[in-house]
Amino acid sequence: MSSFRRSWFTAAALVAVAGVGMVFLVLGSAGTHSPGSFASRRRYLVYLLLIGWGFAGTGLYAWRRRPGNRVGPLMTATGCAWLVRGLEVSGSPLVFALGKVAAPWAFAVLTHLLLAFPSGRLGSWRLRLLAGIAYVNVTVLQLAEFLLTDTQAPGAECPGCPPNPVLVTGPSAMVDAVGAAIGAAQGLLALLVLVGLVVVLARRWFVATAGQRRSLTPVLVTGAVTVGLITVTVRGVPPAAADVLTVLTLTSFAFVPFAFLAGLLRSRLGEAEAVTMVVRRLGASTGRTAVRDALAEALGDPQLQLAYWVPEIASYADSTGHRINLPGPDDTTSASLISHEGEPLAAVIHAVSLAEQENLVPTIGAAVELALRNERLDAALRARVEELRASRARIVEAGDEQRRRIERDLHDGAQQRLMALGIDLRLARERVACDPAGSEDLLDAALHELGEATAELRELARGIHPSILTNRGLPAALQALAGRSPVPVVVTTSQHRFPAPIESAVYFLVSEALTNAARYACAQQVTVTVSDRAGLVEVEVHDDGVGGADPVRGSGLRGLHDRIAALDGRLEVASVGGQGTTLRVELPCA
Amino acid sequence: MGRTVLIVDDHPSFRASARRMLEAHGYDVVGEAADGGAAVVSAERLRPEIVLLDVRLPDADGLDVARSLLRRTVAVPLVVLTSSHDYADLSGAIETSGVCGFIPKAELTAGALAAMVG
Repeated sequence: MSSFRRSWFTAAALVAVAGVGMVFLVLGSAGTHSPGSFASRRRYLVYLLLIGWGFAGTGLYAWRRRPGNRVGPLMTATGCAWLVRGLEVSGSPLVFALGKVAAPWAFAVLTHLLLAFPSGRLGSWRLRLLAGIAYVNVTVLQLAEFLLTDTQAPGAECPGCPPNPVLVTGPSAMVDAVGAAIGAAQGLLALLVLVGLVVVLARRWFVATAGQRRSLTPVLVTGAVTVGLITVTVRGVPPAAADVLTVLTLTSFAFVPFAFLAGLLRSRLGEAEAVTMVVRRLGASTGRTAVRDALAEALGDPQLQLAYWVPEIASYADSTGHRINLPGPDDTTSASLISHEGEPLAAVIHAVSLAEQENLVPTIGAAVELALRNERLDAALRARVEELRASRARIVEAGDEQRRRIERDLHDGAQQRLMALGIDLRLARERVACDPAGSEDLLDAALHELGEATAELRELARGIHPSILTNRGLPAALQALAGRSPVPVVVTTSQHRFPAPIESAVYFLVSEALTNAARYACAQQVTVTVSDRAGLVEVEVHDDGVGGADPVRGSGLRGLHDRIAALDGRLEVASVGGQGTTLRVELPCA
Repeated sequence: MGRTVLIVDDHPSFRASARRMLEAHGYDVVGEAADGGAAVVSAERLRPEIVLLDVRLPDADGLDVARSLLRRTVAVPLVVLTSSHDYADLSGAIETSGVCGFIPKAELTAGALAAMVG
């Protein structure tokens, strides 16, 4: 037997025993009193059993249907608390005292239930605080008040009740003052809990979708009416009115568990209704957002978004192909994932409140799976186009940046040297007749500047396009790169010539990788392998550095990715911290 | 002793050549500065009679530095040095900056400077 089934059967047995035991215990004891307007204990017990078993029975049903939801256990606990309340009509002083102390427990558990409905969880510290106040009020303060209550004092509210076996005696003025203070505190906390409950329920109603309101309505209406009646009954009404209100309260209370059951059934009907609505709507509409619109209408969430899993970009994308991030745990929306045969298909991003109906979105998602798969193909195509558009924009930007860099390098480097050289040459010409030795010094300085300018121009030209690559091919160009690298490099390369764009892409890939290995990775060794087979050029550059390179954030790697993608190639970066970095490229070379 | 000159340019090789040329023609190069901030400090401290100012400095636009110098110091002839031969690029800005004029770096000679500052 599973632990759930064991817990469930234990709770069911306890409920049955508590109910029956309470009846025998009360009827078997002497006593004639009954609370409020109940002239007979029998009538009161009928109410107790009706309400207690009503809560416990529907709670056990809900618990069994939705084991992961705490509403069922809370309903069952409310029923048990209500059954324990029946002890207050016992003629035995001790049992009577237990009943009086436990009498308001059911109200606190009901408050907890309403605050937690329908998810069963108190999702914020405010809700937990409110429930905590309710529990303190009905336990600590209730016990304190009963300790000071003389049930047989003249004018006591409980005619015919047994004596209080735990009565604390003392100077009457002091006892009265403390009792009044405790009563006031109880009233104040009860009012606070009531106001908080009203605010929470109202807010929950306003943010609920149409489908959720259908299931919330019965519970919230009966719950609110009951709590309202309890509050009015507890404080400041004439005895005659109090009697009527007690009956009304208990009657209302008796409806609450059945209202919950109705809400549960409506919730089930809501799923079927939503599925029907989606399917009907899909049959009547076309267009890129047909599934999203149908889901939004059926789930009553106009802000709903649909994100399709696009394996080519390893990300979710919307119907226009733009990448989309799924909401996190602290966001105001939630995502329900829809998969097909274990593969992610789409994600429905919806209001958090919808997540409380845990089966709703997956059920509807399964109903529209085929339509989703078709729309995903469209989204994947658009994502590819979007990726190409972004890549094209980056390539243009990279080209502009490169031209700016060349202009800057020319201006700051060779151009300045040549202008200085011009000044020196003019001065040497002026002084050659009158100061030959000084002119010689000036010419030496000019020659030095000329050499520096030439070297800078050569380096600049190599950055634009290395002549060795054109003239002698990839093997020689890569060896030259390796020779200039501060990190030892082992190059193994195919001796074939490839089309110029391929050779250029491979050259700059290796150049960037070597720069990164020396500048960021603190590598001690780099291996470069270039091979070709079956119309495919494969390049692998591996360094033994620190790893941890981020291909998304690094503009150099992203530029390489764009360059490779423009040639229909594929670039993979493997860079785990502490395990070096490996770049692998495949370029089609038909 | 010739007129005192402050050279403001971020390229050491150009500053060295300019200094050689000016000193060969009797000018007294009293200081060099590699950026706009250093130019302002040096000009206030050295009070040169002529400032040769590159239009493109690493920390500021040379013409902005010129305006700053003219606001802070006594009137001093400021000559802008530029790599551009195209006066049209800079004419508007030079006319409103208060400098004497500009000399392309490639054409910097003692004669050109004398013609500019008198």
